Amino acid sequence: MKKLILITALLASPLFAQVKEKVEVPYVPFPVKMGKGFDAVQANCLMCHSFGYIINQGRQSKKFWRGKVDKMIVHFKAPIGEEAAKAVTEYLYEHYGNGKLK
Amino acid sequence: MERRDFFKKAAVVAGAAAVGSNTAEAGITRQPIDNRKVSPVAFPEKRPLIMYSDRPPLLETPRDVFTSVLTPNDQFFVRWHMPDIPTHIDPDTFTISVNGLVEKELKISLNDLKTKFEQVEVTAVLQCGGNSRSAFQPIAGGIQWGSGAMGCATWKGVRLRDLLDQAGLKKDAEWIGFNGSEKAAYYETPNFIRELHLEELDDHVILAYQMNGEDLPYLNGYPLRLVIPGIYSDSWVKMLSNITVTNEYKHLFFMDVAYRVPDNECECETHEKKAPKTKPITKMNVKSVIGYPTRNSLVNLKSHVVVRGVAFDDGHGIKKVLVSTDAGKTWDEAILDDGKLGRYAYRAFRYPFKPETLGKVTIMTKAINNIGEEQPLAKDIKWNHGGYKYNGIDEVTVEVI
Repeated sequence: MKKLILITALLASPLFAQVKEKVEVPYVPFPVKMGKGFDAVQANCLMCHSFGYIINQGRQSKKFWRGKVDKMIVHFKAPIGEEAAKAVTEYLYEHYGNGKLK
Repeated sequence: MERRDFFKKAAVVAGAAAVGSNTAEAGITRQPIDNRKVSPVAFPEKRPLIMYSDRPPLLETPRDVFTSVLTPNDQFFVRWHMPDIPTHIDPDTFTISVNGLVEKELKISLNDLKTKFEQVEVTAVLQCGGNSRSAFQPIAGGIQWGSGAMGCATWKGVRLRDLLDQAGLKKDAEWIGFNGSEKAAYYETPNFIRELHLEELDDHVILAYQMNGEDLPYLNGYPLRLVIPGIYSDSWVKMLSNITVTNEYKHLFFMDVAYRVPDNECECETHEKKAPKTKPITKMNVKSVIGYPTRNSLVNLKSHVVVRGVAFDDGHGIKKVLVSTDAGKTWDEAILDDGKLGRYAYRAFRYPFKPETLGKVTIMTKAINNIGEEQPLAKDIKWNHGGYKYNGIDEVTVEVI
C-alpha cells in the first residue's frame, strides 16, 4: 500500500522545466543605413521581423526586393499600400542592392 | 565593456553578412561564407552563436562544433519563421491535441506522453534546407547561412503512429497537419503549418520532448516538436500544439511556395529562366562538414594534425569519407566512427594529416553514401532560386608554419 502511494505521489509531482519562468529573447539593434524611405521600412517591415532578417538576405536586385515586399503583402497579409511598397523597395535597392534592376 | 558598446559590436558582427560579394559570375557556386564571427549576445539557453536576426531568432552553429556526433543543445542552430514565439509554456498544463478525422479526439498532457506511451529514441540530423545558401551565385533569396544551419541530437519521445492509433484514424484520413505555436504580428498571416501525407509517416517519426537527455531548449521547440529523420528541418514543426487529420490537402504558404526546388532532374534553373514547376525539398542529400581545422588555422610543419568532421545523408548511411590535401588530385579514406547511433545520425570522421610544405594548404572532404551518391565539387552544383540543398565538397584552408 505504501509503495502504491509513493508511485501516485511521483506521478502527481510537477514536471521540472529547465527554465521556470518566461525566457527573454534579447533585442539586438542592427546597423541601419539612414536614408529616404527608411521611415516606410520602420512602419511596414519592422513590426514583423528584425532589420537583420532583411540585410542578411545579401545584396539583391530591385526586382528581388520588390518581390520580397509583394510576398509580405500577398502571402503574409501585411497591410502595405502601393506608395509604401515603392518607398521600401527603393530604400532596400539603394542601400542593399546589387546594382541590377532584375 | 559598456553595454552600449557591447550591442554596437553585436550589430556590426550581425551586419557583416550584408557586405557580401556581388561580383561573381552568374551561376557559379562557390564555398559557403565561412568567416562569420560568433555574436557576443547569448540567446536563452544558448551560448553565443552566429546571429542573423533576433526577431525571429536565427542562429547558426560555428564550424568548430562539428567534430563529434552529437551537437550540444546550447550550440544547436535556431530558425523560426514568425516573430512571436511563446516565451513561457507551463509543462504541467501543456497539452497536445489530436483532432479532425479521428474516432476519438485527444488532448494529451506532457506527463501522459511520458508515462502512457512507449518511449522511443532516435539520433537524427536536423538541417535547414537553406544550410550553406551563401554558396550560391547570384545570391539566392533567403538568409545567407554558412554551413552551420545543422546539428545532430538524440531525440526522445513517442511515435506519432502510436498517438494516431490511440485516436483512431477514420477511413478517409489522408493528410496530417501539424501546427506550431509561433504567431505572426498580424492575425491574417497564415500560421506555420505543415502537412504530411499518411504514406510519408513511418515509425521513425516521433514527437520529441527531449534532446540529448535534456528538455528541448525553448528556441528548439520546447516542450514538444516533430522529428522526421532524413528530411529537412522545415517539416520538423516546433512547439507543436495541434495535430489535425484531414482528407484533403490544404494549400498553405509554407507547403506550396516556400522550401521548394525546381521539379526537374538537376533540380536547377537559372536566374533569368526560373523552372515552371517546383517540388518540396524533403529528403537530404549526402554532405560532409569539416570541424577541425577551421579557416585560417595555423598548423605546424610536420606536426600530427587530425582533421575531424561529420558526414550524413537521408538515412541510407555513409559508406566513406575521402580527404584530399592536394586540391583534389588524390583522395584518401578517413577513419569513420563506429556508427552505433544509427543511420540517421552524423558519422564522425577523422584523418591524420602531416603537413610537409609551408604555406597555405586546402583540406577537402567528400562523403559517399551506401547507394553510391557522392558530394560534387562546389562549382558543379547548379543554381536554384531558393538556394536550397547545397552539398558541395567541403574545403578549409589552413596555414602551415
